[in-house]
Amino acid sequence: MNREVYVIGVGMHLFTKGYVPLRDMYFTAGVDALEDAGLKFRDIGCLYNGYIGGGMMEGVGYAKDLGMTGLPVVHVENASATGSSAFREAVWAVSGGAADVAMAMGFDDMARSGMPRRKPPPGRNKAVPGFESILLPAGFFAMWAVRRMHEAGTTVETFAAIAAKNWNHARHNPMAQRRADHEITVEEVLAAPMVAYPHTAMMACASGAGAACAIVATREWAERLAGGRPLVKVVASQLQSEVYSEGHVFLGAVVGPASSTERTAQLAYEEAGLGPEDLSLVHVHDAFPIEELMYYELLGICAPGEGDRLVHDGDTAIGGRIPFSTDGGLTARGHPGGPTGLAQVWDATRQLRGEQGPFQVHDARNALVHMMGAGSVCVIHILQRG
Amino acid sequence: MPNRVPLEDGYLVFSEDGIRLLGSYSPVADVTFFPTRKRCPITEESVQTVELSREGTLHAWSFIHMPRMGSMDIDPGGGYAVGQIDLPEGVRVQTRIDGRPEDLEIGMPMRLEADVVATDEDGTEYCGFKFVPKSRPSPGSTP
Repeated sequence: MNREVYVIGVGMHLFTKGYVPLRDMYFTAGVDALEDAGLKFRDIGCLYNGYIGGGMMEGVGYAKDLGMTGLPVVHVENASATGSSAFREAVWAVSGGAADVAMAMGFDDMARSGMPRRKPPPGRNKAVPGFESILLPAGFFAMWAVRRMHEAGTTVETFAAIAAKNWNHARHNPMAQRRADHEITVEEVLAAPMVAYPHTAMMACASGAGAACAIVATREWAERLAGGRPLVKVVASQLQSEVYSEGHVFLGAVVGPASSTERTAQLAYEEAGLGPEDLSLVHVHDAFPIEELMYYELLGICAPGEGDRLVHDGDTAIGGRIPFSTDGGLTARGHPGGPTGLAQVWDATRQLRGEQGPFQVHDARNALVHMMGAGSVCVIHILQRG
Repeated sequence: MPNRVPLEDGYLVFSEDGIRLLGSYSPVADVTFFPTRKRCPITEESVQTVELSREGTLHAWSFIHMPRMGSMDIDPGGGYAVGQIDLPEGVRVQTRIDGRPEDLEIGMPMRLEADVVATDEDGTEYCGFKFVPKSRPSPGSTP
């Protein structure tokens, strides 16, 4: 990056299954981030709106509720990695000098997301689904899980333990969609209805609606607005699309080869000048627990095949060696689509500032946030205190 | 025999001996892709359209207890199976498969079949494809 970039404000609207107009969620998250930063909307140099569903005009229209300053506004979309991609655009706008202060906003309702609608081709008088809609994400990740069980002897109890951990992390997060009124057990997760073998409904991510926002700026702005709080610096910003690998799946694929995460992480570690051993907490695309398990290994947190042991030793729970999904993750904080990656930034930033109260990670210094976007892309940012 | 039409052009063909998937072979990279590519994504050189093997092995599978994409109803039998099939050309095909969880095992041989997704008023069948366990009798064969 050419110029140092800092996260100076984060805001959220609760992720929820209930109905709240997206325009209201957008406004709430935006004002929350502006107040967190101590800024007026007129201070924002450019704005990147991330959303999957909806259509043209939506984001730029909602932005008028925050202010009408003439600033550049752009729509960003990268499936589940939409918010992360909008964040990256804001980071690069500041780094490259296009703006001193930039905002990334994500908002969505997963219920309205889907494959592009198509008209029947010439000569066909019936609209039929295309080949690309062969597979649901639930099926794709379930096949990762079945393959993992076959190769490494992973048990369904391990998958359930990861999900239960994330449910329990979310119990303390006021922005989480799934906040259980009791400690969630492995038995409870396993007893939930089966969605896609071996994943049950309590292992599948919470799909709902929500909004999340982050404001990034130069060091000068960050220092001026810090007000005694620790600074949060973006020390790595990486996005990769697919590279062909053996056994590459193209049709009905959801996120391409698992090696995308390994490759993107390597670039991020090199950019940040640190390694997995330096991380205090991690957020990943834990749409299903098999993903979190595999990312332990693909991010280099442990050696290949040792992820199961990490779960059983409690290493990835808050209080453990390297907590994952500290706000509940996609599993329980939720995954509305557009805002998901920015919710990770919301938690990571507040963790690094020491502001997360009952779900605070002790002495958090470096946080890695990772999202996969169908199609596919992998986005990784590393945030650092100081 | 009803008139069979692929869901979309360019993915499969019906020949006298049945359904075949279409792939692309890159002579320079010596790699085969499915579905077809406009050109080789590795070398950026041209590719040749090829018909792929009808038999492969099951690399991974799952059984989905949810409605199919675009539907609100769960299939009779409580769901449907999906799988990844490795073909001899080095291609991995992700697709619907036939079978109950107790019938499916990684490494088992699988065979390509047409999957009729919708039927028109005039009887035209819109076809996708699926793989079925090879041990299952072919449609039309004498038991």
